[in-house]
Amino acid sequence: MFTRPDNWNQMSPLERRKARLDAWQNAPVPFASPEAEAGYKERIERLRKIYDMEPHDRPLADLFLGVNEYVVRRKGIQGKDMVYNHEKLREPLLEFHNEFQPDVSVGPLPYPGKVMDMLGYKSYIWGGQKLPDNLTIQAVEGEYMSADEYLEFAADPTNFWMKKYLPRIMPTLAPLAMLTELPRVSENIDIIDLMVPFGLPPFQEMLKTLMEAGNELMKMLAVVGQTGAMVAGAGFPSMAYNIVKTPFDYLGDTVRGTKGILTDMYRHPNELLAACEAYVPVLNNAAVNACDRNGAPSVLYVLHKGADGFMSKAQFEKFYWPHWKQNMMALYEEGITSYLFIEGSYNTRLEYLAEMPSKSLVCHFDKTDMRRVKEVLSDKHIIAGNVPASLMAAGTVDEVRAYCADLVELFEGKSYIMAHGCYFENTTDEKLRAFMDSVKK
Amino acid sequence: MSQELINAITEMREDDALKIASQMLDAGASPLEVLDACRNAMEIIGKRFETGDCFIPELMLAGEILSQISAIVKPRMSQSAESKKLGKVIVGTVQGDIHDIAKDIVVFMLDINGFEVTDLGVDVPPAKFVEAVKQAGAKIVGLSGFLTLAFDPMKDTVAALKAAGLNDVKVMIGGGQIDEQIRQYTGADAYGKDAMAAVAIAKSWA
Repeated sequence: MFTRPDNWNQMSPLERRKARLDAWQNAPVPFASPEAEAGYKERIERLRKIYDMEPHDRPLADLFLGVNEYVVRRKGIQGKDMVYNHEKLREPLLEFHNEFQPDVSVGPLPYPGKVMDMLGYKSYIWGGQKLPDNLTIQAVEGEYMSADEYLEFAADPTNFWMKKYLPRIMPTLAPLAMLTELPRVSENIDIIDLMVPFGLPPFQEMLKTLMEAGNELMKMLAVVGQTGAMVAGAGFPSMAYNIVKTPFDYLGDTVRGTKGILTDMYRHPNELLAACEAYVPVLNNAAVNACDRNGAPSVLYVLHKGADGFMSKAQFEKFYWPHWKQNMMALYEEGITSYLFIEGSYNTRLEYLAEMPSKSLVCHFDKTDMRRVKEVLSDKHIIAGNVPASLMAAGTVDEVRAYCADLVELFEGKSYIMAHGCYFENTTDEKLRAFMDSVKK
Repeated sequence: MSQELINAITEMREDDALKIASQMLDAGASPLEVLDACRNAMEIIGKRFETGDCFIPELMLAGEILSQISAIVKPRMSQSAESKKLGKVIVGTVQGDIHDIAKDIVVFMLDINGFEVTDLGVDVPPAKFVEAVKQAGAKIVGLSGFLTLAFDPMKDTVAALKAAGLNDVKVMIGGGQIDEQIRQYTGADAYGKDAMAAVAIAKSWA
């Protein structure tokens, strides 16, 4: 949890940013040994200097999402285990950290399989459920909001999510639709409307299932939390962030689907814009609250439909960028750094990111021209990326070494994080070592 | 009126396009004339896509417009009026990957450019590709994959085609993380970075 200092209202955005980063950097860790503590401090100080864009000894190599699966698969763990058997992930993860000594930790992959089963969750399928045991989890895109419902969403996003969207993707939650609209609970008589669903069998059944699912979640979080604490205690800090999306991507990925939202730009432009606008204050609030709750100093934007090729610059300027920028500016004002995980290529979008205040962003690229990135963004923001997944999977050790060396040279003197451009499953220990050693002098 | 239809489609005026197509048919235009106008429009959109003047939303909306026009036109067409196809192509997302958006665009663009396309859907095992190729007598296969876990199933599919003796079948691959390195890794004959590239490759092989 992040506790705001008494003078928060008098602090500038960068002072607030410093307060959040200080709290994260100094959070207590149960170290396994004095050596582990020394290693942790060295690593987190380097990361902090990079975040502060101050002089530092070398770039850091972050295995990021790229390697989560590989580090457990190399020890025979299957996709199904990552969803259901979180205890089995601990040893491979600890072993990997001790063997490879990464600059920052690799996360313990908390997919809550049992809880998803109990909720009847439909927007993903996973190993041990509808996917074969060797696979982990994949999104199932669907249309969970019709174009006719845009304005209903825009009028009250939270109400729509609670009473329409959540019941549609998690049938267990269908009774939520029975709830009255909460802001009309005012006079004593309104308590009747508020409480009626709680007295009805379907709602009570849902509450019972939710409590059981909550208990399952706590069991999983205890395991995952302990693994995370052990990894940190062994000397490896984590990049702490809360995952968010842009208003356009929330609507596109989650409720309208790719074809839905991309054609809505022609078929229902005003409704789409109204929904994006309505999303901004909701997301500002949600992201700040999440960072206050768990003390993460940054949010991780997973970016999808604003990439090159997905829309024109004119469409990006109209439908994607304005609401996203408002969102990131609000986070900046609250001292929260936006870490952008930019899948695909962003060659035509770099100038927009340059509009953001200095140090407000970490820009992590996948398939973007890094020479232009250096030119347009590296004096202002922290840069990460863009080692191709194809190279890690199918390239040679020498090719990985050469590619990474080129990036290190390119970003010399800048705040740079060596990172993969995309999630991948298959590589070799030798290629990972070449990747990690590339930043060491 | 053909030009008006072409303009309506390329300018993404969906309602106008449908109206004009119906008016053309009512005024006695042949179904083929209407479909030719659609094809011309798609050619323009395809070229704009290649030059970066239009993007996925336009390909998708044009696809929607065309399928609606097809639904109006097809009942009025005789079997013999179907235009000659350039060749048969088998397309699918490889085993283990359930993503279909990019694959669907490729299928649509190949179809509109004159290929007879068999879409095997998603999560397609190598044996199913082999069977479909044999059954259709196709000489071109398109393998799609969004996730990096698609690399190995693509390689397996190429190997399965070769093992089945289908050495004259050419394979193209595509998807978010596919590049020349993965083409070499899988043994495919070509990779395309987008749907228009897939069309160009297929035409060069037809």
